[in-house]
Amino acid sequence: MSFTTKRWASLGALAFTAALVAGACNSGTPSTAPVSAAASEAPASQAASQGPASAAASGGAASTAPSSAPTQAAGGGTGKAPNIFVVGGKADDPFWSRVKRGAEDAGMIVKAEGGSVTWLAPANYNNLGPDAAKLLQTALSQNPGAVVGPDWVPDAEDAAFEAIVAAKVPLIVYNSGYLAAAQKVGALNYVGSDDNVAGATAGKYLASHGFKHALCVNDFPGASFAEARCGGIKQGMTSAGAQYTELPLPSSDYGNQTAVSQAVKAAILKDPTIDVIMTLGVSDEPAVQSAIDQANARSTVKAATFDMDTTTLQDVKSGKLLFTIDQQPYMQGFLAVSMLNQYVQWGLTMPQQPVLTGPAIVDASGVDAALAGAAAGTR
Amino acid sequence: MTSQDERGARGRDGAIAVKPSAPPRFDVGGLIRRPETGALIGTVGVLVFFSIVGGRTFLSSAGVSSWLNVAAELGIIALPVGLLMIAGELDLSVGSVLAASSMTTSIVSGNWGMPVFVGILSGLALGLLVGAANGLVVTRTRVPSFVVTLATNFSVAGITLALAIALTGSTSSSLSAGEPAKTLLGSLIGGQFEVAVIWWALAVAVVGWLLHVSKYGNWIFAIGGDLESARTMGIPINGVKIALYMSSALGAALVGVIQAILYNGAQVAAGQAFVFNSIIAVVIGGVLLTGGYGSVVGIVMGTLTFAIVNQGIYFSGWDANLASLILGLMLLAAVLMNNTFRRMALSYSPKSKPVEQGRR
Repeated sequence: MSFTTKRWASLGALAFTAALVAGACNSGTPSTAPVSAAASEAPASQAASQGPASAAASGGAASTAPSSAPTQAAGGGTGKAPNIFVVGGKADDPFWSRVKRGAEDAGMIVKAEGGSVTWLAPANYNNLGPDAAKLLQTALSQNPGAVVGPDWVPDAEDAAFEAIVAAKVPLIVYNSGYLAAAQKVGALNYVGSDDNVAGATAGKYLASHGFKHALCVNDFPGASFAEARCGGIKQGMTSAGAQYTELPLPSSDYGNQTAVSQAVKAAILKDPTIDVIMTLGVSDEPAVQSAIDQANARSTVKAATFDMDTTTLQDVKSGKLLFTIDQQPYMQGFLAVSMLNQYVQWGLTMPQQPVLTGPAIVDASGVDAALAGAAAGTR
Repeated sequence: MTSQDERGARGRDGAIAVKPSAPPRFDVGGLIRRPETGALIGTVGVLVFFSIVGGRTFLSSAGVSSWLNVAAELGIIALPVGLLMIAGELDLSVGSVLAASSMTTSIVSGNWGMPVFVGILSGLALGLLVGAANGLVVTRTRVPSFVVTLATNFSVAGITLALAIALTGSTSSSLSAGEPAKTLLGSLIGGQFEVAVIWWALAVAVVGWLLHVSKYGNWIFAIGGDLESARTMGIPINGVKIALYMSSALGAALVGVIQAILYNGAQVAAGQAFVFNSIIAVVIGGVLLTGGYGSVVGIVMGTLTFAIVNQGIYFSGWDANLASLILGLMLLAAVLMNNTFRRMALSYSPKSKPVEQGRR
């Protein structure tokens, strides 16, 4: 809603306020998932699937040194299963439904041992940082045994994270923020992927398979996850001597496959040297396939995407898509909850910091296993 | 008994497109004062502008289809939304209805393997159902339609999400539609133009007849222009409004079905861009936000203008980061121009038509 007349802008603001009120009510009484809370005017599913990452994208260099700096001393080894609160994205986001499934699956063990896992999510992504901070406060007010949270907007959320650590509640930062953000607030560990590394991995894969000019379809210009992903592709391509172009889309195109498709078609008609198109999420992938058909460029232009769902996996299987990049969201929820459960009960910790869950490139060779996982709602 | 008077009133508002009884005399003053003129100038203006900036590709069939496809889908929703706005109401629920109907079609015919026409009918029926609910709540409770349909937009999105996860375990669904359906709804004519363009043309004809020829058009203008007068004249206001809400939801549902079949699947989070885009197209087309004024030609022009600006930027070679800025400035310019032409239209005093002096 960035481009309407003044009148509509103010109506939009009203809608936004209504959404905020809904969000506030939601955080007041945490339910297991905000399924009844609705999509907003500007659903930012991918913005939060990765969330605005901290500027300090510290690369994926996993230091294997035993954790010394950020360890929280108290809280470990109680012998009792904790009540774990997990802050995450909306459940209608394909990505976050996998994270939630992982957290819930790990939660089965927690429940069997007498604890619980509660999922907290904002009603929409319009005010991500403050909403996430509120949810973290909500979690803390429930006297939690442990907390998992994404550091989407460090400036807005860090105070809430620090309050959790100060209350001696074991904390794992996951999905966004990377290790630097986790260590800054004193969390046990970081579990997640690194968008820049994922982008660079994709770029190198493309360059090594003979592609000369990649187009990155950025449907969320300005969001740091999007910049990190496109930026990574750029690094991967240009370092191998290949070309890179970015196509930023205005918010009036968001969620409208036809508009995305026509924009991509225009881009490849305008520059015939483009031979591969990368999308930042699965939602734009069918639109790109249609654009390639409409531009009559099936033989000269290939496509690949970040993240995955059944449609993209089937396209990989049928050869319409080169690969998808899986950051294995299920593992983010599953590992974060499991690690906290074991830590609180038995004081167990992982030496790896951060714990990276991706990227994994799923191409024709690994697509069948991924399809089976997708059918089960885990991949 | 009302028909003749209302037709006169509408003519005086300048909103009638063709007056069968009027002599076919070319009149520059009259043309300038037509309510669509501002919208028409806007459309021609942006078309010429992007033809110059965009070069040969923009005018090729690939370029034309680029904005015509976007316009067609938006137009199918904008037309009934425009009727509602002329009747003084809003519909902010079209985004969720689109997503819900495309998910319904895709789940019924994709996941469950039922014949594709069953899926299509389920999707459209769901749209009609939501539209009827909107209409009933708006007419029964008198809560402003802005609030009611905003609530519907949220509620339907929530139900769609919950049901999609409950029924399929996923937030997206894939569908491969069989042959008659694919050709009728989701194919590309000549590999370029969506069949939606033809559906849009049909919708323009139907809505044009409805608004400018049939008596129902008079009713819609009367409801939006002066609700109390419309009531005292015996117009079935509630019935008309419910029908209008059902038609806007049907338009959104049709686009949902088209996208599901064209892109071989559906996603829960789709469609929200249509909520504001449809209203923008209608407003550029010269329909008053307060109701009672507008035309089908104007709405069509507004839709085309929006689509040309939105897609033209990709052919211009400019920094695409500026797309939203250019879109915003052009929209503002279009609406300012419309206001000028509307003032002129409303200042028009017909020489040989002394009826309805008291109105407005």
